[in-house]
Amino acid sequence: MITIVARKLLQGTLTLLFVSIISFAMLSAAGGDALTALSDNPQVSSETVERLRTVYGLDRPLSKRYFAWISAAVRGDLGESFTYRTPVRDLVLSRLSNTLIVALPALILAFGFAFSGAYLLESSRSKLLDRMAEIWIALSSSTPRIVAALVVLLVIVGSADATTRQEPGSYLVVVGCMIVIALPLQALLLAQAKSELARASGAEFVKFARAKGLSERVVIVKHASREALNPLITLCGLSLGSVVSGSIVVETVLGWPGIGALMVTAVRGRDVSLVMGIVIITSLLIWIANSMAELLQMVNDPRLIETEAAGNE
Amino acid sequence: MSNAGKIGSLGRMVSCFALGIFAAIVLLGDFIAPYDHALQSRSEPAAPPTRIHIVDESGEVRWPFIYRRSLVDPLARTFEDDRSESYDLTLFAIGDPYYLLGVVPARIHLFGVDQKGTGTPRVYLLGTDELGRDRFSRIIIATKFSLIVCPLGAILAGLIGVVIGLLSGYTNRTVDTILMGIADTMLSLPALMIILTARAAFPLELPPVRAAGLLVMIFALTGWAEFARLMRGLARSLKEREFVLAARSLGLTEIRIMVRHILPNALPTMLTQVLVMLPYFLLAEVALSFLGVGLQEPYPSLGNLLASAADINRLQREPLLVLAPGFVIATFVLTIRGLGAKSERVA
Repeated sequence: MITIVARKLLQGTLTLLFVSIISFAMLSAAGGDALTALSDNPQVSSETVERLRTVYGLDRPLSKRYFAWISAAVRGDLGESFTYRTPVRDLVLSRLSNTLIVALPALILAFGFAFSGAYLLESSRSKLLDRMAEIWIALSSSTPRIVAALVVLLVIVGSADATTRQEPGSYLVVVGCMIVIALPLQALLLAQAKSELARASGAEFVKFARAKGLSERVVIVKHASREALNPLITLCGLSLGSVVSGSIVVETVLGWPGIGALMVTAVRGRDVSLVMGIVIITSLLIWIANSMAELLQMVNDPRLIETEAAGNE
Repeated sequence: MSNAGKIGSLGRMVSCFALGIFAAIVLLGDFIAPYDHALQSRSEPAAPPTRIHIVDESGEVRWPFIYRRSLVDPLARTFEDDRSESYDLTLFAIGDPYYLLGVVPARIHLFGVDQKGTGTPRVYLLGTDELGRDRFSRIIIATKFSLIVCPLGAILAGLIGVVIGLLSGYTNRTVDTILMGIADTMLSLPALMIILTARAAFPLELPPVRAAGLLVMIFALTGWAEFARLMRGLARSLKEREFVLAARSLGLTEIRIMVRHILPNALPTMLTQVLVMLPYFLLAEVALSFLGVGLQEPYPSLGNLLASAADINRLQREPLLVLAPGFVIATFVLTIRGLGAKSERVA
């Protein structure tokens, strides 16, 4: 067990290191920084720009800058944002918590919907319901998040001035963000849950449970679900990445101050330290989520611990 | 079972048909679009769709025609038909000049009203935007742009993925661990965030050709991981097969085995994967242009057309018209899914 944890930690550290090197090199090497735009301003002389570069340390070689950045980052200091003039770490963490307020309930919503939907489909065994579910999956997974977000925006604005004649309340925005983030996710999860549950309920041990005379509900909930759960947990861990991707568009459209909207501002302002901060903290979060998903799988299926301990492949 | 098969094949037929239309738009977009996407009609800004009549003043049914409109109230944007003269809609109408396939100069469009002089009214299927440009033409040209950029990006990403996957599946374990570690890292991170990070390294405002080139490059550099994983799996299973053993026992070099024996066998699966991945690249392109860092005004792309829908007033006034680019995107994604589902069942 300890070797497993140690290996995971090593993998995680290497991953973060790799991500930081690649993104730092990409952002710094391709030419141009936050001060490039400043040199277009006729009121700022090129000497001033050069002086500012020295102040911010942008004239030093790339390797030196990276080393300075990473040694500060390890101590928890991610530098200062050019556009916001505040420490990157505090900014990113506060925006990240805003995103998670929306994203975690969305994840739970999608997971709950997918699992209960799959359970209903499996226990009813209705051809019609199955077909309808397939159409629903196809339609909801094909709706671009931008369009879904715009429709939600339309609903929010419409309901705000028709009934209350007030500014749209932020709780509406939160609920809207949740729905838009959960929409493509539930399609993915529902499709997966449906096929996993169908596969699991054909398995020998499920037939046996049924032969014992257990009720269909107990068979599905206690036996088949457990088998079907592991791929879904993996998917849930992985889908956090897609949730963050989705939040970029959704938050921009609906004006929710989360990490996605911050990323867009950072890219538009070419705020390198802010982009770096967002990338590193998000990678860390996703790595933690994936590790937790793996842990949960081992709890659900203890056989995995042995295969892990024996080494991969 | 037979019933399910029937519906599946119907879905596939519809998908093939839709794919044909998309291909036609890519090749003949300027011909299908009735007007130049950049042409502004100053007298009809933010106009609703042109009303197409089939019954004339005397109550007789005839070939579809339109009336000239004039702006009555610029504030309320109300238009009035001038019923004194009618203009017939025609197929293969003569209109704005363009270059067919980028080379042949032409003036014939699929449909429209023959342009005689400057006063001829124009037919706007989806109305005009705030600058008086034809929305329908802009959507067609935007679709053309998006469907050139995304497949190029997907194919390039596929090529990189094939090379990396072959190396990973065919060489020693250390190379394999490192390459697949990188691929897994890429896959676990949010795709749009990687793409935006890559985009942040380049100047924000770019001319259209360079923006398109940049998008293709970014898609290729960020999208190869999925292909590499698949190719590695294929290479690993193929290299154990008898025909590879036979080739090796004949004394062929490993490179030759890779190129002549493994690659051709992996090709159909990889091509299917390119097709399956297309929607993801399209959605990424749309998101970038929507956020203002992809293709930029005045050039239309599905993303920046949707960006104009983010204006709440416009969204409330004519939601269906401003969301029309979204329907194009959804249709394309559904089309590919329809084809992909079938190819998965065959495999």
